[in-house]
Parts: sequence; C-alpha cells; structure tokens
Amino acid sequence: MTNSVPEFSAHTNCFLIIGSNTTEAHPLVASHVMEAQQRGAKVIVVDPRQTQMARLADLYLCPRPGTNVAWLNGLMHVIIAEGLQDASFVQERTEGYEELRQVVMTYPPEKVEEISGIPADDLRAAARLYAQHKPAAILYAMGITQHTTGTDNVKSCANLSMLTGNVGIAGGGVNPLRGQNNVQGACDLGGLPNVYPGYQAVTAPEVKEKFEQAWGVAGLDDQVGLTVTEMIEGAGQGNVRALYVMAENPLLSDPDINHVRHCLEQLDLLVVQDIFLTETAELAHVVLPATSFAEKDGTFTGTDRRVQRVQKAVEPLGESKPDWQIICELAQMMISGSRFQVPNLQPETWNYASPAEVMDEIAPVTPIYGGVSYERLEREGSLQWPVPTADHPGTPYLHKGKFSRGLGRFHAIHSQAAAELPDEAYPFTLTTGRLMFHFHTGTMTRRTEKLAQEVREAYVEMHPDDAARIGLDGAERVRVASRRGEIELAVRVTPAIRPGVVFIPFHFAEAAANVLTHAALDPDSGIPEFKVCAVQVEPVT
Amino acid sequence: MREQICKLVAEKLPELAGVVALRQTAVGTAPYLFREGDDLSQLVLEPRYPLPSVVSMLQKRYPEARFGVVARGCDARALVEMAKRNQIDPERLYLVGFTCSAEQAAECYCAAPAPDTAGWPQAMVVGVPVAGAPPNPLVAQYEEMSLAERRAFWQQQFAKCIKCYGCRNICPECFCEACALEDPLWVEAGMLAPPFPMFHLVRAMHMASRCVACRQCELVCPAHIPLTVLYDLMRRDIGELLGYEPGADIAAAPPLSLTLADGMVHGQDQLL
Repeated sequence: MTNSVPEFSAHTNCFLIIGSNTTEAHPLVASHVMEAQQRGAKVIVVDPRQTQMARLADLYLCPRPGTNVAWLNGLMHVIIAEGLQDASFVQERTEGYEELRQVVMTYPPEKVEEISGIPADDLRAAARLYAQHKPAAILYAMGITQHTTGTDNVKSCANLSMLTGNVGIAGGGVNPLRGQNNVQGACDLGGLPNVYPGYQAVTAPEVKEKFEQAWGVAGLDDQVGLTVTEMIEGAGQGNVRALYVMAENPLLSDPDINHVRHCLEQLDLLVVQDIFLTETAELAHVVLPATSFAEKDGTFTGTDRRVQRVQKAVEPLGESKPDWQIICELAQMMISGSRFQVPNLQPETWNYASPAEVMDEIAPVTPIYGGVSYERLEREGSLQWPVPTADHPGTPYLHKGKFSRGLGRFHAIHSQAAAELPDEAYPFTLTTGRLMFHFHTGTMTRRTEKLAQEVREAYVEMHPDDAARIGLDGAERVRVASRRGEIELAVRVTPAIRPGVVFIPFHFAEAAANVLTHAALDPDSGIPEFKVCAVQVEPVT
Repeated sequence: MREQICKLVAEKLPELAGVVALRQTAVGTAPYLFREGDDLSQLVLEPRYPLPSVVSMLQKRYPEARFGVVARGCDARALVEMAKRNQIDPERLYLVGFTCSAEQAAECYCAAPAPDTAGWPQAMVVGVPVAGAPPNPLVAQYEEMSLAERRAFWQQQFAKCIKCYGCRNICPECFCEACALEDPLWVEAGMLAPPFPMFHLVRAMHMASRCVACRQCELVCPAHIPLTVLYDLMRRDIGELLGYEPGADIAAAPPLSLTLADGMVHGQDQLL
C-alpha cells in the first residue's frame, strides 16, 4: 500500500474499492472505511458481485469480470473530458500524460459500457465522485491482480490516482489489500525469485557483491529463479526435482489442481512444512511440523508496510519448531553433509539465538528495514518502512513530494480480453474468492466447528435468470465443469451477482474451485487468472 | 489510585487464591491472576476491559477457591447480575472496587461510575466517586424518529454487521453454553450481514434485565454499530415497567428469570 490503514478513517473522503470483498476478506480495513462513512466519506464499489461492502456503498458498479482496464480508462476519459484532473500534479510530478490521454480518449463511456457492462451514466457518476472528493483512496484486492492483465490493471489504478493528484497525500493513494498477515513481510525479505531482501535485484552485480560480503560467501547466483506457478510446471516437466513447501497448500490454492497433482507426483522429493497435514502434505515424502503464530516469536509485516512484533504466548506443541529454526537446522545439516555447492560456508553461520538476531542481520543489508530493531518495535509498537535509519520515524505514506524514480510515469494501456471467455460449450464466467468464515485453503478454519457451523460446504452462487436458463427448477446441487475438470456442489441462487457470472469460494477441498480454474498467467507478474474462466453448469437430479 | 489498589491487593493476597486484574508486560496487557509473590508493579487499570467473565471461569474451575477481582462500577454491576444467575459465587469473591474519573464516565455516558458495594459480602472501594455523566445524546435523537425512521436507522446500522460475535463474546452477561445466535432456527447461518433483524434483536431481548450498561459491546464493534442505544432504552423500559435496575441491588430478583420446579414454570411473582 502507498498509504496506511488508519489514514482511511482519519483522512480519506472517497474510496474506490475494486475487486475487494472488504468486509469479509479484510474486516479491519472495512472497519476504517465504515468509520470514514460516519463522517460523510463516499464509497464506490466495483465488483461483479454485490458484496456487503457494495450494499454499503454510495455507488455500486457491476462489471463483467476481466474488463478492469476498459472501465478504468473510461473513468479517466470522463475526468479528462470534464476537466476534473489535477493539472498541476500532472504537470509537476508526472510524465507520459499525452500518451495516456490519447489512449483513454478512445474509451468514451458508451464504448466502455459495451465492453464492461457498466452503464455509461454510472461510470460518469463514479468519475465525478472520485475526482471531486480528495483525498481519494483506491483499495483493491485479487479482483485487480488475479488476471492475465493483472499488471495492466495495477498500472491503470496508478494512472487514475496520479491523474487526480491523489498520490503522496495522507488518505489517498493506491492500496492493495494483502491477503495474509505476513505476505508483505515475505515479499519484503526476498521471498520472490528476482530480489534479495528489500527488493534489491539478484541480477545487479553490486547487490550480489554486497550479499556475498555480508554472508561471507562467494558465487551467489545472479539468475532470476522460478515463480510458484513455474516451479509446479517445472516439476511436471522434470526440470524441478525437489520442492520444499512452507505454509502453502498449492494442491488447493493453485489453478487447475488436477494438473498440479500430476506435477507434484513427478517430484523426486516433496517436503512440506506446516502446522496441519494439508492436502499437499499428504502427497509429501517428508512433513516437518511447524509452529502456529501463538507458539513463536518474530515479526509480521502488514499490508501497510507495518512491521510488528508477534510474541510467543504458549510453548510449541510436540516436536514442532518455528520455521526459522527448522530452516537453520536443515542448512547446517546440508553444509556438514559436504554436498552443498557454495564454498566457504560454515555451519555456524546459520546459528541464531533468537529471531531478534535474524533482524539484526536483516537491517544492515536491507535499506527499507535499516532502522528496524526488536528494541524499537517493542518500544514504539510498530514501524512502517521505509525506515532507513535508527532515528527515522518510518513512513506512513509513500511518494510525498517525489517518486522514487523522480517523475511518476503514466502507462498508456489498452484493454485486452481475458484468456478464456465464455462460449457455447462453456457459457458462464467463473470467478473465485473468499468467505468471512474461512481462511484460504481452510487448513485452520475448516478444523474449527464454530466456523463450520456458519458455512459447512462449498457452493456456487448464481443469478436467478441463469438458474432459470439452466433449468435448475428447485434442484439444490449442480455440476460445474470447465475444460480442466468438474466438481459437484450446492447452489445458492442470488440476485447479488452479475447474470452470466458464477462464483465459487475456493476454501473447500472436496469441491475445489481450482479444479476448474485456468492456469493462464500474467506475462509480467506470473499471477494466474483465478478470476475468469469459462464453465458450464447443470443441475444434479 | 493504582498504588492504593496495589497496596490493598498485597494485603489481601495471603488470604486469597489470587486476584484477577489487568497485567501489563512487554508483550501487552491482558487479564491475569495475581498470586502472592507476583510483581504488582505490573498491575494496571487501563485499558478498560471486563474481568467478570474471567472470575466466573476461575470460580467454576476451582469450586473451593476464594479469589479477588479489581473492578470498576460496571464490572461490579455485571458481577451482581452474574451472581443472580449462578455464574459467580459472591461468598467466594473479594471485590477491590475503584472509581472511574469524570472523563471516563463522560466517555461511557455512565450514570454510576463507582462500584456500589452494598450487599457484597466482602468489598472495598478505592477513590472518590464522581457524579454520573449525562446520557448518550443519540438516544434522544433516536426517540425523535418515527417508527419508520427507527426501522430504517437499524436496518442501515445492522447492514454493517460482519457477524464477528464480538458484542456477544465481550459481554459479561452472555454466558449460555448454547447460544440462540448460533441456532439456525433463529438466525440463518453464514450470512453477511446476518439476517435483519433477528441476530441483533434476539441478542437485545436476551439483554433485557441483564444489561448493566458497561458499553463494551459498542466499544469492540468493528462496524461501529451504536448498540447501546437499543440497550439503554431496554433498560429504561425494564425500570419503568418492572421496577428493576440490572446490577443495582444484589438482593433483588431479576423479573424475567423463570425457574422450573415441580414440573411447573415459576416467575418472580411466585417466588417472592
């Protein structure tokens, strides 16, 4: 996020919430939005489902899934046509405006209506509401990113925010809501194939040298590694022969899971480290028991770049250990076993007395975490990066006065269709998502009776017109099939979804939505298109 | 105030199994059972957090033990209503009461910001009582509304509910093992917001003659629903219609409680 969650309740006057089921998936963020509404802030929700957040909004737009660039361009078309842009911000802080203008002017609201299904007048109303209530914040989640055009969608959000001068101010900005408590931290500290901690490129020679010195080694790899989806594919092709999975359950969370299972079965070695025996762990050759959040010390970095301490409340159960200890012990064994390729490594380099010592190693080599220490975190509660030095207060919002690259660059982007559109054989668009009462692959929440009591099994949401079209006729179960596979599950008929679109929450292994989804990837980020694929639906009698 | 309370706790600890209070450490602040020899410099009074449910849990787990509790006015009122419903045993509880400040009382629209120890077997109050604060102005605004406006008001408020059960979980008077809010007979499961108005009105009905106006439900609500407008009016009606004030008098029988004896349902009138 460019900005901070507490700014929403304190400063934001308009929210544009895109592809985020905020009250269910990010209830604490929703709490700040609702608090802002009490002082009159406006809310626009754009989603193919009329979620609770959409029902609470001042304006709700219901697009066809996969048309984000088109309607975002349309919004900018209206803003420019009506002179609502922030001309001085565009002039002083950005470049590439003319190219952007030329592209978005080819997206008049009537044309956008044809592409997206959003009525032209609703689009105009949204453009005025967003542009005329500053500071305005864009909040988005997977409805923006999980597309083959995910990167284009994100750039379009940035275009809109810069066009209206909403970047670099409290309560504005472009704010992706991240899905797990520490997914931001995992990315920050190098859990990506192309960067070291602090987003320092593995391909940059000076970065490579810096980490070789810090770790006392030579010959660190300067090639970009594989993304998660590429690793699975690599396993299927025999290029990846061993996979070590920590706290992830790809056999439920990855697209096209029949194919994922086939790929994982080709591995010579699959190691899974988790707190429960997940679907993926059941396939593993070795399972390493990890600890839950309550049994370990460390930090979590939240969606607004906020580093916070997590404190151990109970001792680890059974043979379980915190992830960092398991990794260190494994590394020491590998080094002692003399098969390890990196020269000069000594087992004692993997010796830490506590996570605080790990942070002491992180800070000097990670400029954005440079001033982070456990002592400060315990004293100050939290720190938001970049926090380059020990006396830096941290950064609640980014890009104040200046972008990291100097000028903010507009990206002129044309709309592209999703990879798999509905056709005669597969006439519905399937979109997937989450529920309030379950978390991700249900590894934890589906083991909890109180939550099962709320939602016990998978279901598909469908519009009444579509239910009539398939001749549902009171049937309670349906078979949903795509080109990848089929599942059978309960059906809920609801007017709160766009006709032609069906929705399945992906938490449920026994009727897994990801049997159906399509592993088409965004060419830049490698994210799969979980939000659009073509399916057929028929009643089970 | 804190020092006085710590002194009192230290004096009483040798004769008690422990005293329930808030403890602050580097990890944070949480309810804690202070026992003899514990570091009382960690005992704190803020933030406001209800301790009666902790007392109830401990007394049930240790049926012979005598505990103490550090309690505000609202905590003491909650304990009174819990005692009447067999959730705590006042004979086995030493009440270390303390008064709230005028600022705290104003923040809570609290009419009785000091513990009333009349009728408590063993109690002591630290601090000088301040006057009750004026009521929540939203209650008067609400009463100006027509019935249709009131319905629209609650419809709008309850539409924000994310069914976190926070209001129920924090409430010292919500102690049933089987909760009607989780029973699909009353509230359809898995819906967001939960169906209007059953989820909230079932809870409101169960609060009648129980709610002691601690306002914790409203404080914890992530959707900022002004729940106590409903409960304040309910308290007023119970007072006017049945002459009962929850939490005030440990000897007064709750008017809506029923008992089963000899195969018959008995209410207050039969019992007294």
